[in-house]
Amino acid sequence: MVKSLKIYLPFASNELKRMMAYKGAFYLFILISLFKSFISYYLWMAVYGSSDKGVLGGLSQSEMVVYVFMVYVTSAVMVPLSDWVSDDVIKGTVAMNLIKPIDYRLSLIFRAMGNMIYSFLTPGILIWVGVEIYKVTVLGLAPVTVGRIILYLISCMMSFLIYVLFDFCFGMIAFFTTYIFGLLMVQGALLSFLTGQLIPISFFPGAVQNIFEFLPFSSIIYTPVMIYLGKYSGRMLGFALLRQAVWVVILYVLGSLIWKKVTKRLVVLGG
Amino acid sequence: MIEVNHISKDFVSPKKYPGLSGAIKGLFSNEKIVKTAVDDISFTIGKGEIVGYIGSNGAGKSTTIKIMTGILNPTKGTCRVAGIDPSRKRRENAQNIGVVFGQRTQLWWDLPLSESFTILKEIYNVSDETYKEQMEFLNRVLELQEFFDRPVRTLSLGQRMRADLGAALLHNPKVLYLDEPTIGLDLVVKDNIREAIKEINEKYQTTVILTTHDIGDIEELCSRIIIIDEGKKIYDGSLVDLKDTYGTKRKVTMEIRQPHKIKELHLAESLGISDAECITEYDKENNTLCVTFDKHKIQVPQILSAVMEVLEIKDVQIQETELAQIVKEIYNHGTVEE
Repeated sequence: MVKSLKIYLPFASNELKRMMAYKGAFYLFILISLFKSFISYYLWMAVYGSSDKGVLGGLSQSEMVVYVFMVYVTSAVMVPLSDWVSDDVIKGTVAMNLIKPIDYRLSLIFRAMGNMIYSFLTPGILIWVGVEIYKVTVLGLAPVTVGRIILYLISCMMSFLIYVLFDFCFGMIAFFTTYIFGLLMVQGALLSFLTGQLIPISFFPGAVQNIFEFLPFSSIIYTPVMIYLGKYSGRMLGFALLRQAVWVVILYVLGSLIWKKVTKRLVVLGG
Repeated sequence: MIEVNHISKDFVSPKKYPGLSGAIKGLFSNEKIVKTAVDDISFTIGKGEIVGYIGSNGAGKSTTIKIMTGILNPTKGTCRVAGIDPSRKRRENAQNIGVVFGQRTQLWWDLPLSESFTILKEIYNVSDETYKEQMEFLNRVLELQEFFDRPVRTLSLGQRMRADLGAALLHNPKVLYLDEPTIGLDLVVKDNIREAIKEINEKYQTTVILTTHDIGDIEELCSRIIIIDEGKKIYDGSLVDLKDTYGTKRKVTMEIRQPHKIKELHLAESLGISDAECITEYDKENNTLCVTFDKHKIQVPQILSAVMEVLEIKDVQIQETELAQIVKEIYNHGTVEE
C-alpha cells in the first residue's frame, strides 16, 4: 500500500505542477466557470423574487445561494479524465503508459486527484470561505458546524471516486471510436442535469427524482451539497453515504471489466 | 532472452468507400477489412545480442515491437520475453524492458526532465543507491546534466532522444527496444547515441532490438539482422552472411592513360569468363574504365593484370556493394536469393 502510494503520488504532484505551469489558462477557466455560477445565482434570485412561496423544492432563498456556490466548490471533483484518455488514444501516447509497470487507471485517478486538489484550493476554498462569510453577515444564518464540514468532505471524496471511475469507463469509448469530443459535450450537458449542478434534484417531480437519485450521478454533486446544507440527517444521511460507497464499488468493478476487454483489442495509433 | 513463436497480428477495420455517397454508405455497411500486419513470424534472441530489425515502411516492425512490449496482443502465436508472456503479464514484463519510440516521448512534457526521472525512479522501484550510480553512468554516456533542469518541451530533438534513452535505461532493463532511435538526428548526435547503446550493451549485457531505416545504425551496432517484409520474415542471420550471399558484386574503377587502345582490350576473353560475369563500361569524359564482377568468380589482381597488359593505369578504386544497396534490392524483390 505504502509502496503503491509512492509510485502513484508523483502523478498527483506532477499534475499539480503542470496546472501551475499553465496558470493563465487556468485562471481564465476559473473566471468563466464563476461567471456561470453568477448567472445561475441571478436566475434563481429572479425565480424566488417572482414566487409567492419562500421555499421552493425544499430550499429557501438563502439556502439556494449557498447551494449555487457550493455546487461550484464541489465541481472540483469533476476532472476532465475522459478527455485525457481520448487525448492518449488520439496521440497514441497510451502506448507510453502501457510500457511502464503501472496500472493505467490508477495513474489516471492519481493525476485526477492532483487536478482536483488544485481546483479545490484555487479558487474553491476561497469561494467557500466567501460563501460562509456572506451567509453569516448578510443572510444572518448560523455558520456551518465542523461535524458537517467533515461529513461533506467525506462525501466529496466518494463523489470524486464515483466521478473518476465513471469517467474512466466513459473514456474507454475513445478506444473504440477514437474521437469522443462530441460525446464529451453530450456527457457534460447530461451531467449538469443529472448531478443537480443546474437545478437541485428536489425540484423535479417525484418519479423523476427517484430515478435521478438512484443513478450514480446525483451522488457526485447533489448529495455532498445537500449534506453540507444539513438536509440529510440520521438514517437518511447514512443511506446517502452508503449509496455513494456502493456506486464506488460497482463502478470500480465495471471499469476493471471494461479495461480487460479494451486491452484485448487495443490499437495503438501512429508509428 | 526473447522467444517469438509463430506470431500473427490482424487488424480489423471497417471498410471505407470513396466520396460523399461512400461516406453515407459507410454508415450503414458492416463490412470489415482484415489486414495482416505480422504474418507468422518466429525468432529467438539471446542475451546480450544487438539485433537490427529492419523492413520497409509498414512492414510490421513496430507491430512486432508492440507485441513484445505487451501493448498489443498477438492474434495467433506466443511470445516470451525473459520467461514472461508480455500479453498476459504486461506489468511484470514492463519491469524487465526499456522502450524508446523515436517518434514519441515517455517523458512528462510540461515538467523539467529531472522530475520525469524522479517519477520513473518510483515507478520502477529503483533504490537510491542504484539510482545514483545509474544516473552517473547515464550522465557520462548521454550528457544529460546540461539540460537536466529544463522542461522537456523546450528540449531539442537530439536532447530529447538522449533523455528518452536515459529514461528507458534508468531501471537497467534486461531488454531494450529501440524503435527508430536516431530518426531526425544530426550526425554527431547519432554517433553519440550509437556509442551510448554500444557501451550499455557491453556494460550490462543488455539485449537490444533496434528498428531503423538508417543503414549506418545497423552497420555500427548490429551483428545480426532480421528483415521483414509485408509481415513476413525474409532474412534472419548475421550481417556478414548477408553481405556475403547478396553483396557478391564488386566494382573496380580504373583511370587509364591510353584511351585509344581501349578497343584492344577484351577483358572477359583474356580472363576466360563470360561477358555477363564481368561487365566493362568505358566513360569517355573522365577517361575511366569500370568493371563490375562477381567476387567469388574472380579476384581484383587478376583483372588489374589483365588490363595492364594492354593499358597503363593511373589510379584504381575498388567498391564493395553497400549494405544500403543490398537492403534496397531486398525490399524491391521481397526475398533474399540464396
